[in-house]
Amino acid sequence: MIDRQEVIRMARLARLDLSEQEIGLYQRDLTNFLVSGRKLQQVDVSEIEGSSHAVAMGHELRQDQVGPSLTQAEVLAAGTGVLNGFFKVPRIVEGQE
Amino acid sequence: MRKLAHLLESKQVSSQDLVQHYLEQIKKLEPSINAFITVDEAGALRAAAEADSRRAEGRALSPWDGIPIAIKDNISTKGLRTTCASRFLNNYEPIFDATVVTMLKRAGLPILGKTNLDEFAMGSSTEYSAFGVVRNPHDPQRVSGGSSGGSAAAVAADEAPWALGTDTGGSIRQPASFCGVVGLKPTYGRVSRYGAVALAPSLDQVGPMAKTVEDTAILFSLIAGADPRDATSVNAPEFEVPVWQENVAKGLKVGVPEEFFSSGLRVDVERAVRRCLASLEEQGAILEPISLATNVYAIDTYLTLVTAEASSSLARFDGVRYGERVDAPDANTMFAKSRARGFGSEVKRRIMLGTYVLSASHYEAYYEQAQKVRTLIKQDVAKAFAKVDVIITPTTPTTAFKVGEKRNPLEMYLSDLYTAMANLSGICALSLPCGQDAEGLPIGVQIMGNHFAEGLVFQVAHMLEQSVGGGVSVEV
Repeated sequence: MIDRQEVIRMARLARLDLSEQEIGLYQRDLTNFLVSGRKLQQVDVSEIEGSSHAVAMGHELRQDQVGPSLTQAEVLAAGTGVLNGFFKVPRIVEGQE
Repeated sequence: MRKLAHLLESKQVSSQDLVQHYLEQIKKLEPSINAFITVDEAGALRAAAEADSRRAEGRALSPWDGIPIAIKDNISTKGLRTTCASRFLNNYEPIFDATVVTMLKRAGLPILGKTNLDEFAMGSSTEYSAFGVVRNPHDPQRVSGGSSGGSAAAVAADEAPWALGTDTGGSIRQPASFCGVVGLKPTYGRVSRYGAVALAPSLDQVGPMAKTVEDTAILFSLIAGADPRDATSVNAPEFEVPVWQENVAKGLKVGVPEEFFSSGLRVDVERAVRRCLASLEEQGAILEPISLATNVYAIDTYLTLVTAEASSSLARFDGVRYGERVDAPDANTMFAKSRARGFGSEVKRRIMLGTYVLSASHYEAYYEQAQKVRTLIKQDVAKAFAKVDVIITPTTPTTAFKVGEKRNPLEMYLSDLYTAMANLSGICALSLPCGQDAEGLPIGVQIMGNHFAEGLVFQVAHMLEQSVGGGVSVEV
């Protein structure tokens, strides 16, 4: 069974505030999933390059030309806390007022 | 769809008549099916009125101008609520259209509404939707499949003549199979993903769903094409709706992979698919037994990669610029509480798994390893297509299961057993209804083609549709 502290650490990394019940649930699910994940570790992939894409594709660059953009008002429209043209959020840095 | 287009062109019906018809179907059937999250009655009728004006003035935008469509609710529609079936986006209205929506609007298609799905496209039954499950029109005790269950059910139940879905591991093909409609996962990159809310960017594709092969091909022709706003879209030859060939099977090499016909496959599903193979052989196709041995790793590879990519894709949902926000004294707590309240259990599960396999101490053993196995799978598929023209398999091992039947997440993931390989390798794959089981539930046959071989896949599907039966034409 995956360590409970490891589950809590993953939740912190994923920015998920899990309940005690959820921690137990995902501890079990992670453990079960990793059984199947470990099956892949038995596959001989020496000399194999990993694929991050399904099909080979190159980089196609475009001309450096300014095109139409969203307005500030449009971008802010769906925000929950908006103030003076900014998205307002709680303090980010610990210990600063 | 050609029939509808003719009725519109000859003014036997108006677009407003059509839209009104589907809105009435929706009103009648939604209490029992739940295929839609949002129905845009006013918007659809307005667009239909504009289509009728255009036709009256001889300015139709396309032959399909005025034929309405349903859009899966993880595809952005400007000013029209787009929830991804998540509480997190319950009140979110996009400020832009997805490219595929822009293309449909340019062809004049009114949008009936947004169809239900598993939350953020994570699931195979729509049981993970925050808006309730989509029930199968053939048997309301059963699921419609997922994640594009709403789109599949809407088309099957005549709530919409066609619809868009998305497919990451089988999410168009599996619900198409369960609901008895046609669904295509295009070659990766053939359709723009701009505006389609990402689940797994290296696997996702937007695709068409309709009752017949021809209608599916028509819809595909409207949405295919490179897009400068999607750097993963590719410059493929323009797709034109095929002129149907009668002798497409003659000399066609059809790969039949033994691994897709093993234990776990229901007898009646196998029988229906083998009937398709027999029909192709009768018409001159050469059936070639092949091996896709790496399919045994497809689900595990897919799960590792999809959860990793999902954890990254969904990091943007933090309550800052849009979506559900829970107030808190500091930003990190706000992020964590907003996401915990906004996301459902399956979404959280996949984010947790993905975070784990991407974390520094596990990255090499899980994520990098899965990427390498993906290469093996791609090589296996490429080797097969060096020998055969198409590969034919069942779409799913079973027909539609009962609501609540699959309580174990790992059991649910097995729904993608035959479909995930196409996403991992980027090839195109179509599901065609090819019969029914003993309880009258639809069975789907999957036709896989090499990269950019949609034309051939449609030809083979059309031929099978004529010979063994398949979708039913829209009756108005």
